[in-house]
Amino acid sequence: MSARSDLASRLDTRYAAETPEGIALWLRPAGVAPRLYAYLVDLLIRFFVFVFVVLFLGRLGGFGGGLALVVLFLLEWLYPVVFELGPGAATPGKRMVGLTVVMDSGLPITPAASLTRNLLRAADFLPSFYAFGALSMLWRHDFKRLGDLAAGTLVVYAAQAELPRSAPPPAPARAPAVPLPARSQAAIVAWAGRVARLTEARADELAEIAVPVVAPRAQHGDRVAALVGVAHWLLGRR
Amino acid sequence: MTPLQFETAHAALWQELEAELGAVPKRKRGSQPVDRARVAALYRAACEHLAVAESRAYPVWLIERLETLTARGHQRIYRETDFGLDKLARLFVVDFPAAVRAHRVYVLIALLAFAGPLAVIGVLSYLDPGFILSLHDAGMVAEYERMYGDADGPIGRRSAGSDWSMFGFYIFNNLRIAFQCFAGGLFFGIGSLYYLAANGAVAGSLAGYLTWRGFGETFYSFVVTHGAFELTGVVLAGAAGLALGHALLAPGRRSRLAALEDAARRAIVIVYGMIAMFVVAAAFEAFWSSARWVAPQVKFGVGGACWFVVFVYFVFQGRSRRDPASSR
Repeated sequence: MSARSDLASRLDTRYAAETPEGIALWLRPAGVAPRLYAYLVDLLIRFFVFVFVVLFLGRLGGFGGGLALVVLFLLEWLYPVVFELGPGAATPGKRMVGLTVVMDSGLPITPAASLTRNLLRAADFLPSFYAFGALSMLWRHDFKRLGDLAAGTLVVYAAQAELPRSAPPPAPARAPAVPLPARSQAAIVAWAGRVARLTEARADELAEIAVPVVAPRAQHGDRVAALVGVAHWLLGRR
Repeated sequence: MTPLQFETAHAALWQELEAELGAVPKRKRGSQPVDRARVAALYRAACEHLAVAESRAYPVWLIERLETLTARGHQRIYRETDFGLDKLARLFVVDFPAAVRAHRVYVLIALLAFAGPLAVIGVLSYLDPGFILSLHDAGMVAEYERMYGDADGPIGRRSAGSDWSMFGFYIFNNLRIAFQCFAGGLFFGIGSLYYLAANGAVAGSLAGYLTWRGFGETFYSFVVTHGAFELTGVVLAGAAGLALGHALLAPGRRSRLAALEDAARRAIVIVYGMIAMFVVAAAFEAFWSSARWVAPQVKFGVGGACWFVVFVYFVFQGRSRRDPASSR
């Protein structure tokens, strides 16, 4: 990606997974805080399910008690596996926070990987309260805990970052005074797409950077309209 | 080509792909079946458009739309849909025993790490009956005597729990121990060795002490049947963990992470089978091993048969006759 510089990629936690089709899938790994929220929600759900099961099965005597322990086992170890292999690839807690689990190649998670990452919780949990898992997540750019490292999985935000797709506000098209390189064209068009959400003063302030070069004959109070016009011209309305 | 021309030229195609991607999960019986080849072709075209749009620095919203579209298409097209029974059958007929054989060095080391402390602590507890007090407190020892002694009631139970509640307890408790043996491998294998040795030591102290007390027949007749699955299962869990640890310690020419991922992918097959073994073990332990009405001799007979079956299963099951490499 030419538009995304090296400097930005050092700060940015976005993760590029290249596909066989030669494009990059941009994944946004989720850090400690959202995953903690998701874990707490799941913990609460599991707790209430277990309480409900105990209340219900308690009346069945020894058989019910045994079944309750089996349910506790399933809730502790296989609850995440079942949900991660389901359609949303996320436990209810993760879904609530807006997270999902994928392979670090961008592919949907496989059963083997899901079981691996969830059984290795036993290692992440050590020495207590997921200390090793949290350390591993804080250490790494892609926020993998130990189980994610072994399974090759990533916890990412499910939704793509939605940019407002609004086209620039209407203005008479206007050819730029000089030929513009691709990056400058993209910057002007992107700015024009944001004009509707900027205050007038801010839009004018930003336009001031480009207008002297792109449209030197524009009037002082007319800079925003002139640059939007250039954007329309660049988009192809001529 | 300007961005607008590009968009008008291909918008119809993108809309078709968007519609196809939205339609698949909600598909019901009787509705129009999805043409998979068409979806794949549309997806490839969208990928191409994305690459072109990026290289020409087209407006952000256009690229954003194509990125969303291709990401959704990618998730849909590469989704694994085959979780069938065939795979499950193949796991137990071929994959699991073959994976155990492929990890035989790890299995051997895990066996030593488990059986070594078991034997040493067992002999020490047998020779010096006071030794067990350095591992368990006196109250626990008295409890063990009652559990495995000549008292009435099922063998191996602290309180008079029913068979079913003990089944649940064995699943919950023993599989947790097995998972710890596996996960401990992430710490360069040390965790696996520790859990194996610690559990071996506890089992050894019990065996040695109870033998000295003269409860040997009760205790061994209790252990023999489910031990065939449970003890092997613990060793296999530890072996899977050791495979992870070895990949981290000696990754060869790959990065440690790549070696770990690869080792985990192979070792998880053992864990699948190991879980099934523990379920079988829990059933035996709860409903059969604890029964006082079964004569110890019968239990020894059945237990011996179980050990034999487990041994034969891991040595011979799932070998390919034609493939000389796997029958070495």
